[in-house]
Amino acid sequence: MNNYVLQAEDVAIHYGGVKAVDGVSLTLEKGQIRGLIGPNGAGKSTVIDAITGRRRLTRGKVMLGTEDVSALGVVDRRMRGLSRSFQRTSVFGQMSVRKQVELASHKMGVSDSAADADAVLEELDLRPLANVIAEDLGYGEQRRLDLALALVGHPSVLLLDEPMAGLSVQESHDLAHHLTALTSRRDVSVLLVEHDMDVVFGISDVVTVFELGRVIASGAPSDVRADPRVREAYLGSAA
Amino acid sequence: MLTINLFNGLVYGTLLIVMCSGLALIYGLRRVVNFAHGSLYMLGAYIGYSVAAHADFWVALFVAPAVMAAIGVVLDRYGFRLLQDRDPLTVVLVTFGLLLVIEDFVQTVWGKSNLSLATPDALNFAVNLFGTQVPAYRIGVIVVGAAVALGLSLWLRFSRYGLFVRAASTDPTTTSMQGVNTDALSAGVVGLGTALAGLAGVVSAPFMSLSPSMSADVIIDSFVVVVIGGLGSLAGAFIAAMVLGMVQAVGAVYLPDASVLLPFVLMVAILIWRPAGFAGSRT
Amino acid sequence: MSIQRMSLNTLAALVIGAVIALTVSSGTVLSLLTQAIIYAVFAIGVGLLLRQNGMVSFGHALYFGAAGYGIGIILQLGLMPAELAIVVTLAAIAIVGLLFGLVIVRVPGIAFGMLTLAIGQMFFLTASRARGLTGGADGMSIDWPSTLFGISQSVLLRPANLFMLCWIVLVGIILLLALLLRSRFGSITEAVRDNEERARFIGISTLLPRAAVYALSALVTGVGGVLSALNTGFISPESLHWSLSGMTLMMVVVGGYKALWGPALGAVVYFLFKDILGDYADHWMAIFGIALITVIVFSPTGIAGALQKLRFRHQATPAKAAVSSH
Repeated sequence: MNNYVLQAEDVAIHYGGVKAVDGVSLTLEKGQIRGLIGPNGAGKSTVIDAITGRRRLTRGKVMLGTEDVSALGVVDRRMRGLSRSFQRTSVFGQMSVRKQVELASHKMGVSDSAADADAVLEELDLRPLANVIAEDLGYGEQRRLDLALALVGHPSVLLLDEPMAGLSVQESHDLAHHLTALTSRRDVSVLLVEHDMDVVFGISDVVTVFELGRVIASGAPSDVRADPRVREAYLGSAA
Repeated sequence: MLTINLFNGLVYGTLLIVMCSGLALIYGLRRVVNFAHGSLYMLGAYIGYSVAAHADFWVALFVAPAVMAAIGVVLDRYGFRLLQDRDPLTVVLVTFGLLLVIEDFVQTVWGKSNLSLATPDALNFAVNLFGTQVPAYRIGVIVVGAAVALGLSLWLRFSRYGLFVRAASTDPTTTSMQGVNTDALSAGVVGLGTALAGLAGVVSAPFMSLSPSMSADVIIDSFVVVVIGGLGSLAGAFIAAMVLGMVQAVGAVYLPDASVLLPFVLMVAILIWRPAGFAGSRT
Repeated sequence: MSIQRMSLNTLAALVIGAVIALTVSSGTVLSLLTQAIIYAVFAIGVGLLLRQNGMVSFGHALYFGAAGYGIGIILQLGLMPAELAIVVTLAAIAIVGLLFGLVIVRVPGIAFGMLTLAIGQMFFLTASRARGLTGGADGMSIDWPSTLFGISQSVLLRPANLFMLCWIVLVGIILLLALLLRSRFGSITEAVRDNEERARFIGISTLLPRAAVYALSALVTGVGGVLSALNTGFISPESLHWSLSGMTLMMVVVGGYKALWGPALGAVVYFLFKDILGDYADHWMAIFGIALITVIVFSPTGIAGALQKLRFRHQATPAKAAVSSH
């Protein structure tokens, strides 16, 4: 018996003649942050889509805890605790911050959704902006709102698709800080796709490296950094 | 009975091809569903009628599309281009407003009663087709429609601009291409599309009577065609137009009561099966 | 808006209606206003779909006409009392609306509008060609009984009374919709409209809410159709025609769909304007076409939006100030 909260086994996504993801296996332990890196087009976002049910698997399966969720749709997976944020900020533009976070919490079946929403807003420093309409928020604030929508209802797994994209160095640093605090405080495991190497190697417990839809290395950050294949394929001389 | 119906279905199908290729081209490049396209068709027919009355049908055949092309260029320059960042729905509503204006204009200038245009003398005879007498003029219509379809296909396939139009209609994010002036190209394409509506109007005038209600009938059939064919897909529109013409022709023989409903039944069925249309991409 | 504020507004609206009914003595003016209010109900139905689903229907005349035909046919066949016929017809419209909705709201964007147009035309052609029951293109008169809900027809159809009835229905519908949209249903549909994909990722199944909004908008439109059937005692395929759907859509856009009452305002403006035009009414299509284009280009939120903006300028709220300081 293992204690993985998430397990992807031999996941493949092919469309047309393209093998966007071709036999990827990865796991997530409770409270763990796993970083996912790789060059553009390596299939990182597609893996997230596969795990969350946005794309249908060509092959393989996705286990959430002990349950096989491969056949379930997006809504059912979210109800079971599999949550995500988006690479391109995805919020509800015409609704106030609190209203949409509270709605998300309510849909997750939280009995006191108002309190849950407020707690999450507090966590992400969004409390002062609770009554602002989302499209009036600044970019960094919208990114945090996106994260808040993914965080309500106590999900067990959080898939973050480039949460730092477009943020300033300071904002990225703050968000990274939030993330590590969150995993321990809210008991959530994180799969993090990110371009910012400092962030990934700084906060991840384990790192997986992708190339052309396959895993080429996986392990503790220091091991991965030292792996000659990774250095050659991806990190280059900069590492 | 069936032969003449199939023949008429073919004629109507080619007419729809000319109409719908304009609609599809404009949608492909501008992402605008032009509700006024049927009214532009009507305007083309009426202009053709007046030119033919003062000069000759063959002059009208060229003048009406030319006038419509100019209107199309103006429409793009002072309409679609200024509205290109707006929500597609608002642009649709603008074309709906335009529809109202054109309808009013036509009724004011030409009146509300039916008008008819004589078949040009050169084509005013009957041809024996598989034992059935068919008007030569309608064969001419088929020839014109086929020429338009062929010309457009070749242009899209082999010319540099054609390639760009094709790319833009399959992938709206393709916003620029080296050496292509997109504003000029859009104006040209909308002009061409509008000219085709006008051409369909003039060509249909000698065998469909001119009336202010002619626009509504044809625009609805055209919508059915472009939706079934997949919005913006020229090949899809060609096939769907022919299918629609044939379905109506065969339906008129075997299901006379329900034949007017058939196109809609077809459209609803196809959209339920594939919400993005027959040739539309599955997203 | 608070419940208190809503009750106050409702009360005020009812008083205004009563004042109009009591002070306007001209039967012509009252019947013009009655017609405007009936179309206001219709327009609110179309506007609801646009406001909550972001979808434009070019075929809602279907539900407007269906109400008249439903009641007309039931009464002609003598199947049930008129009161029940109204209820049954409206229930049928809501159910059919839901079933249609489940299928057609899946069609994306503008293709949805074209599909509604086609479906509407299907019913228009069917009604035009069917003889027998519906009287085909000539239409049919509706055999209202001599008393309806215990009120005799002569009293009910007195211009002031009929106007007041339609006004009460209009105010009631706006109030009920406002209450409904304050509820969870309102925020769910708003979320789905704003960002359907994200809505799925916060656990909302998006098909049913969208279909429900479609059914609700069909129902509201159907109520307008019932009022129209009462007002004219007649129904013809014209009531199903797409040009009627288009005209109503125009009222919605000109009035402004972001506010619930915007479409109603659009309908009233439309009818009053058409009346004032008088001699120029022959050219109303061009005039309204230009008006439509002007509104869309220069004030996309319509008259209601422009009015609200004016009010906002008067009372710049602290929230706004806080936002602009970022």
